Amino acid sequence: MNFNFDEDQRSLGETVAAVLADDAQLLAPDPVEAGTSKAWEALAELGLFSLLVPEDLGGAGFSLIDVSLAIEALGAGLAPPGIASTLVVTELLSRYGSDQLKARWLPGIATGELHAALAIQEVGSGPDPLSMRTAFVANGLSGTKMLVDGGSEADLFLVLAGSADGPAVVVIDAKADGVSCRAHDGLDPSSALAEVTFDNVAVGDDDILGGAAAADAVATLQDLGATVAAGMQIGIAARVLDISVEYAKVRVQFGQPIGAFQGIKHVCADLAVAVESGRSAAYYAFWAVAEDAPDRARAASMAKAYCGEVARDGCNRATQIHGGMGFTWELALHRYMRRARILEQAFGNSDWHYDRVTEQTVLANGHATRDEAVSV
Amino acid sequence: MDFNYTPAEEQFRMELRAFLAEALPEGWGETVFLPEDEDEQAVFRLDWERKLYEGGWSCIGWPKEYGGRDATLSERAIYAEELARARAPELINIIGQNLAGHTIIHHGTPEQKARFLPGIISSREVWCQGFSEPNAGSDLASIKTRAELKGDKFIVNGQKIWTSFAQHSQWCLALVRTSNEGPRHKGISLLLIDMRSPGITLRPLRQISGENEFNETFFDDVEVPIENLLGPINEGWRITMTTLSYERGPEDALGRQVRIKQELDTLIAKTTELRNDGKRLIDDPLVRQKLGRSIAEVEIIRLNCLRALSRYLAGEDRGSDASILKLFWSEVGVRMSETAMDVLGPLATLNGDDPLAVGSGRWLTSWLQSKAFTIYAGSSEIQRNIIGERVLGLPR
Repeated sequence: MNFNFDEDQRSLGETVAAVLADDAQLLAPDPVEAGTSKAWEALAELGLFSLLVPEDLGGAGFSLIDVSLAIEALGAGLAPPGIASTLVVTELLSRYGSDQLKARWLPGIATGELHAALAIQEVGSGPDPLSMRTAFVANGLSGTKMLVDGGSEADLFLVLAGSADGPAVVVIDAKADGVSCRAHDGLDPSSALAEVTFDNVAVGDDDILGGAAAADAVATLQDLGATVAAGMQIGIAARVLDISVEYAKVRVQFGQPIGAFQGIKHVCADLAVAVESGRSAAYYAFWAVAEDAPDRARAASMAKAYCGEVARDGCNRATQIHGGMGFTWELALHRYMRRARILEQAFGNSDWHYDRVTEQTVLANGHATRDEAVSV
Repeated sequence: MDFNYTPAEEQFRMELRAFLAEALPEGWGETVFLPEDEDEQAVFRLDWERKLYEGGWSCIGWPKEYGGRDATLSERAIYAEELARARAPELINIIGQNLAGHTIIHHGTPEQKARFLPGIISSREVWCQGFSEPNAGSDLASIKTRAELKGDKFIVNGQKIWTSFAQHSQWCLALVRTSNEGPRHKGISLLLIDMRSPGITLRPLRQISGENEFNETFFDDVEVPIENLLGPINEGWRITMTTLSYERGPEDALGRQVRIKQELDTLIAKTTELRNDGKRLIDDPLVRQKLGRSIAEVEIIRLNCLRALSRYLAGEDRGSDASILKLFWSEVGVRMSETAMDVLGPLATLNGDDPLAVGSGRWLTSWLQSKAFTIYAGSSEIQRNIIGERVLGLPR
């Protein structure tokens, strides 16, 4: 039993944090549409996008655990979310793509040349990632996805879609006929969110992840996506805690730093406990997803539900601790609040995941998940 | 990072599990429970502690030379999990085994070790803790119970409060004031006081759960031989603060976690049976979300403990992060009990003797008991001060 990250894993997290810190635009008060930002290129140069690519395709063949702290750093540094989405796509392609599909996309992803995006949410689909109307019939994919991060810049999409054989994850070339993109006007322009429409886009058998085991790919996308989002959420929470603690040490009122008052100190302490607890949940979920542990789904939902709440609470409390300054555009704390809210919507919100935690537990404890006394 | 256990650790778990299955009465925790009467219960629990000792499963973290197993941190974590999983009775001699024993091993004289450790590990002698006083609760350094050295004895006068199981204890690990000069925490010493000494009077305190676990203890000219001073004189505060990190550490919190989880699992099972308006409780989305939060939080207690243990295994010091563990498990425990009361609704208010009671009224009792979690071993407010000042570096 060992819950520690090793030296390389910690060092990667620190390096990613340092690279992001070099791009002042990422944390500036005005959220700028990231697109091909300085950070994207610097992280590509660092080799971040090659880490999850198998060795035979020019990658490092690392595990998700190796990049957990890097993902937390992406959250804390408000990196364009498309970076993490590209890592999710890489892991899914590596695990479920056919040889041909992997050879087509992974080498370009590894060098950072190709950007990938996840097309999951739809108008009217609610928090359940699986309730979608986008579907492919007779090898043509049709439907409209919303809040696709990095959508306008993407070279390929992983699209969650229904089919006669159940839900599937389909890989679509962004340049294919029938794909169109419209940038959203919304809360967080730095997330580069877009509406993406697929109008009878051709789908080859090879483009369906997992082939006959398509359901496994869908389930992994759900758990992996939720876990990566949770990792970024806890990164945000940890960062706003740090910022708040530093402020509480220097801001003087009534003749002393406000951090000396229990009204402020105890809020920081509660947040510190929540951040450490969220890290425990997120790190365990990374391990469970990497190892396909039997409790993978529950671990991912626990992390997404809990870290989502901690991120939200952390941003709200940070704003309160900063008082009037916290409400100013100029201080840029609002950037974290905006990003946290975007991540909350991704891969199911906290309420939906708490419900799923119960469902998974009822199942694991051997109780009936459905009421047998009520038959339709 | 790896959550798998080594074959040696699995072997350890299996040996312990086999011992527990053999040592506990058949049907334990399902059809057979602790006696209701508090005195009978104490006898039963002390008897259990002696069984653990005879099986070689008492004080496993102690060095082998004092009868322990020199257990690794992983083994201690497994131990806490397995005892709780088997619903083994909680220790009455917990102060002896966790606090007094630990302090004597690190700070005691060879004579004190020889005199006291065998009685502690076998629970032949039970210990209580004489720390809090009516006017020294969270502000523990303000204790006033005096110990004056006269010849080769201390004469102790004062009052202690919340002394759990004093009625069953032969010995008391007491913080006493031995000097009024200099900073107040530098005039405190640790004394090992024989509870049968003339001048000691006990008065039981009834708790909100109706139980009488703790007492007020009065000391009137109680004589304590000088050889029962533990550690150097006026160094009691420093010694106690280091040993208290064990009282709040991951080994303790893991045991709490499994007990809280058992309550929660029983609650979940109950929500698949009970119905409101013909519908199972578990099928109500509000119930599911409340339960989901508790399930996640209770599991996170465990993960927090494993992370702390992993840090210690990698050579990091036990620091103030024990406060993070304690604050989290205690607050989660309280919330879980509130969830149980909310979910079970009107039925939850009935005592076990009422024919309509659910689960023999266990959630009602647990709910009342849980209110102590955030008060003992350093209240939540004290933990927040410690975290704010020592972990985050905020000014005092």
